[in-house]
Amino acid sequence: MNFEELFWSLQVLVAVGLLTSAIAAIRFKNLVSAVIAMAVFSLILSLEFYVLQAPDVAIAEAGVGACLTTAMYLLAIKKTTDEEVIE
Amino acid sequence: MGEEDCGMTVDGAFMWALILLLFSAMLTLIRLLTGPTIPDRAVALDSMTTTTAGAMVIYGVVTRQAVFIDVALVYAVLSYIATLYIARYLVKKRVGIACECEEAGT
Repeated sequence: MNFEELFWSLQVLVAVGLLTSAIAAIRFKNLVSAVIAMAVFSLILSLEFYVLQAPDVAIAEAGVGACLTTAMYLLAIKKTTDEEVIE
Repeated sequence: MGEEDCGMTVDGAFMWALILLLFSAMLTLIRLLTGPTIPDRAVALDSMTTTTAGAMVIYGVVTRQAVFIDVALVYAVLSYIATLYIARYLVKKRVGIACECEEAGT
């Protein structure tokens, strides 16, 4: 197994994961489940930047996507008082 | 060179480990999609983050660039904070089995 095969295998896995988590983030009815799917989306996007040899962009994406976006969305959901689907 | 085709060298072993780690992350993604409750999905997110951080470290070993390991460290710390926020939200909203047991006990 040389490096080219590894690269294309990683690309296929990352593409499948990106599509699946993006569709899940759109179609989940529960708000917290959608936020968790968004966190998974940013995780796989950070892995994609990582594979494409850009570690600084991956660090920025990790900081914004994993920590800031999840925490701020959860704080906003906590502040709202609308009817919420709890499974 | 014959061993390299079979994937038995050290680099080949690391590459197969990387592929298997990402495949297990995809299996965790299935649990996240079909998880019946929100704590299932939170645990699936945490497990997937840990698996992917290990995959990032192995990728840094394969490409022999030490800068790539810093990304895994930063992601591990930040995903801990994200999981902490989700757990605090679930405790506040009383979602899940543990909160109901605590409420019934007191």
